[in-house]
Amino acid sequence: MKNKHKILVNWVGYITVLSLLISCKHHEDEYHSITDKIEAKSKSFHATSTTSELHTKHLNTIKITEGEHTFLIPERTGEITSFACTECHSSPLKEMKGTASKKAHWNIKLQHADEHTMNCISCHNGDNMDQLQSITGTPINFNKSYQLCSQCHSKQFTDWKGGAHGKQVKSWAPPRTALTCVNCHNPHKPHFESKWPVRYNTQKIKERE
Amino acid sequence: MFTVFISLVKDSLQAILHGSKKYHLWMAFLTFIMLIGMYCYTIQLEHGLSVTGMTDRVSWGLYISNFTFLVGVAAAAVILVMPTYVLKDIDFKQAVLIGEGLAVAALIMCLAFVVADMGGPSVLWHMLPGIGVFNFPDSMLTWDVIALNGYLFINISIPFYILFRHYQGKDALSKVYVPGALLSVLWAVGIHLVTAFLYQGLQARPFWNNALLGPRFLASAFAAGPALIILVLALIRYSSSFRIEDKTLKKIGIVVTVAAQINLIMLVSELFKEFYAPTHHSESAYYLFFGLHGKKALLPWIWTAISMNLIATLLLTFHKLRNNFKILYFACSLLFIAIWIEKGFGLIVPGFIPGPYGKIAEYTPTGIEIGVTLGIWALGAFVFTILAKTAIKIELGQLRYKKETVSKE
Amino acid sequence: MSNTTKKWFSLNLGSRKENASSSSCSCGKKEGDCHSADTSPQQKDGFDQVFDVPMDRRTAFKKLTASLLIGAGAVSTSCSLVSGNESKEKAQIDWEEQFKGNYKLMSEEEKKATVERLARSYELRTGKTINLSSQGPEENVLFGYAFNISKCQGYMDCVNACVEENNQDRNSQMQYIRIHEMKDGKGFNFNEADDNYYHEVPAEGHFYMGTQCFHCDNPPCTKVCPVQATWQEEDGLVVIDYDWCVGCRYCMAACPYDGRRFNWSQPEVPEAEINKNQHYLGNRLRKKGVMEKCTFCVQRSRAGKNPACVEACPTGARIFGNLLDPNSTIRWVLENKKVFRLKEDLGTEPKFWYFMD
Repeated sequence: MKNKHKILVNWVGYITVLSLLISCKHHEDEYHSITDKIEAKSKSFHATSTTSELHTKHLNTIKITEGEHTFLIPERTGEITSFACTECHSSPLKEMKGTASKKAHWNIKLQHADEHTMNCISCHNGDNMDQLQSITGTPINFNKSYQLCSQCHSKQFTDWKGGAHGKQVKSWAPPRTALTCVNCHNPHKPHFESKWPVRYNTQKIKERE
Repeated sequence: MFTVFISLVKDSLQAILHGSKKYHLWMAFLTFIMLIGMYCYTIQLEHGLSVTGMTDRVSWGLYISNFTFLVGVAAAAVILVMPTYVLKDIDFKQAVLIGEGLAVAALIMCLAFVVADMGGPSVLWHMLPGIGVFNFPDSMLTWDVIALNGYLFINISIPFYILFRHYQGKDALSKVYVPGALLSVLWAVGIHLVTAFLYQGLQARPFWNNALLGPRFLASAFAAGPALIILVLALIRYSSSFRIEDKTLKKIGIVVTVAAQINLIMLVSELFKEFYAPTHHSESAYYLFFGLHGKKALLPWIWTAISMNLIATLLLTFHKLRNNFKILYFACSLLFIAIWIEKGFGLIVPGFIPGPYGKIAEYTPTGIEIGVTLGIWALGAFVFTILAKTAIKIELGQLRYKKETVSKE
Repeated sequence: MSNTTKKWFSLNLGSRKENASSSSCSCGKKEGDCHSADTSPQQKDGFDQVFDVPMDRRTAFKKLTASLLIGAGAVSTSCSLVSGNESKEKAQIDWEEQFKGNYKLMSEEEKKATVERLARSYELRTGKTINLSSQGPEENVLFGYAFNISKCQGYMDCVNACVEENNQDRNSQMQYIRIHEMKDGKGFNFNEADDNYYHEVPAEGHFYMGTQCFHCDNPPCTKVCPVQATWQEEDGLVVIDYDWCVGCRYCMAACPYDGRRFNWSQPEVPEAEINKNQHYLGNRLRKKGVMEKCTFCVQRSRAGKNPACVEACPTGARIFGNLLDPNSTIRWVLENKKVFRLKEDLGTEPKFWYFMD
């Protein structure tokens, strides 16, 4: 009788140990979910050796700090074909219209908001064409034109700073270089044009018939 | 021992190569079909699997359908093994060798179908344990490889042992083959469950991800397999002097009946689940039974299968009808075809339709695919004919080991 | 399988400046030229491009027996039975490649060796060099992806860039990315979505959603592979060893996201269009009968670059980065936007999140 009892206890012991061995998945790499894994693993995060420098070094960038975010954006003034503006814009527009000066961008038509809301001087500084200006008249450098956009588009601005809006250039690795508003949106006509898709899969049609 | 084996091989070759005109015609016919199959396969090898009807949307087709069905046929041999060896029911003794021969043929066909379905048959050695990398126990496919090959081994070795003894005019020792037979009983259930798990374990395919899939595989296998055995036994009865008692056929008939009935009950249960409270997981079933968005390629197949299944089960259920051999054979053929459709096409193809994002791309096998399939079926029939012919000759006592002839040579 | 019909429409409506300058045969501009190249008899599939070495049966037999007899290494160095150093080398490469092991289980040296062999083989055959990498995952990196549904306009620049970057088969028009055009007001109704539209986009009353391999953290596809030819790397990429794959397509059946593709026939890429910057696990040339899939452009991402789809997207709908870096943009998206994933109930833990503005 006693013996039997002993055997039973032994068996219970074995089974417990076995089930512990099987059920306890205390492997280092097992997490309940991917978010847990990210959280746990990024606690000990230290910078990787991969950087974006190799891929962005040929770009002409400037460093900006907005709130808690510091990143690089492309330098703008060098890309504008006829900068500085005052090289031509030395007299008021009305006077320039009559002259035979270089016709740079007469075709600009403003399609941004509506005419009650915006006109040229909503952004351009009539007194100093080399500068932009905010609604309240504060001068804004062409390089930091995003400050102008952020006056109205504050939600997009938040997303852009964080990285949810816009494009990170070339590399996912730090330091981050982000395109600025005017790299994708024409400030005079900011919406995206509709166009035909780049590709069409003719095989897929057959497959579905 | 070795000389006995050599002599057995020689004698069976002799037996295989000689026979009636009908036999020769039959073998020539099978060889012809196999050659066609091989020709189709070389085309497939050269151009890739694009010569089949399979696409990225429906990536398994006729080959895997047949594979799935034949696993069932192979598993069914056990239904005869159990009573014969384990329960010592002598009635089945004659049938069981045939049943196991059928299992061997079915397994060879299974393996052939799997190889035919592979994109890279030349690197299949990657799958060999030891030389390659065997992803065991994670991949159910590796379980299936073990299960199928193990079952093949068991089903070759047991009959071989028995026939080898009989060939020498000795009785087979039950303590040698009974443990093997017992193992094969468990193994047969195993191969079918494992094959079902192959599909059942995929959360991506709700049509298969269904707890009843395994049990239903078993039920349908135990109907289709023995049904085929009845037909084959009937054929052997007419074409050779091998005696198979009416009793034996009737007993196997009962097995078929019970399995077919259980299979129907499970079908009802499945249909109820899919259609009483349909979720988006029921779309594949809708596609199968009623068609989806005007796509209804499987409708004629599945309804043929279901009506055949119903008629066959009904016929089998009544003793009077079942005991009439003509009706029994008819019902068995109906059942066999019905389950071939249901467990093949009706199971594999709807698993992929609609696709993961609801896209419906239908599947139709191409001529080449059908050619290869027919070729493999012919291969199975060929293998079975050879096995059966030898086994029958030994069992009839026409093939016996003669010491003098061997020593003279 | 005629090559004469037009395989796809490739319009070049801006936004692809790089292409315009780099290649004279970009299929968008000179279709005639491009397809005559397609049909030329020299056209070889990916496998042949690597392995097809001109060698008559006699020398092949000699080589095989010689290798068997005295070992492959000795043949190339000392044995004078066979003629021509180059063909000798080719034969040895073929031999070693045929019987090499699983990349996942190779040591660093073995990985280097196979990569060198493949690159050398390509050079011997075409006279051109490829840059084939075996770069491994870096510590503290876990790649993740976010897709902004409100931003995607359905232009398919990503699909195009992916095909060109990853050397996908042009004949079957294999594409890793699918863009689903969905009707407004119907929610995420994939059933009624069209993933093969061809009209001006964005279409009125529609929105667009892209799918590709989600590089699940708990991938069902790798689990089912009978030979471990596919696995998840330390940096989260789900990759395939094309040379080890046996082509059973079990992974394809197991993937709930339509993320995997199969080479039903021999993949073909016109020589001029081959991207020669390759990775063993990524865009190197494939052969028929093997699986392939999106690797987040492993050849680019491990080098620090964005995947081709991210770079090509003109609307910035695609965000890629290191999930372990608390300062990365992908982390900001996960923490500040309302993100979701597809079929989360399956427990596959995709590392591909969707969000809206």
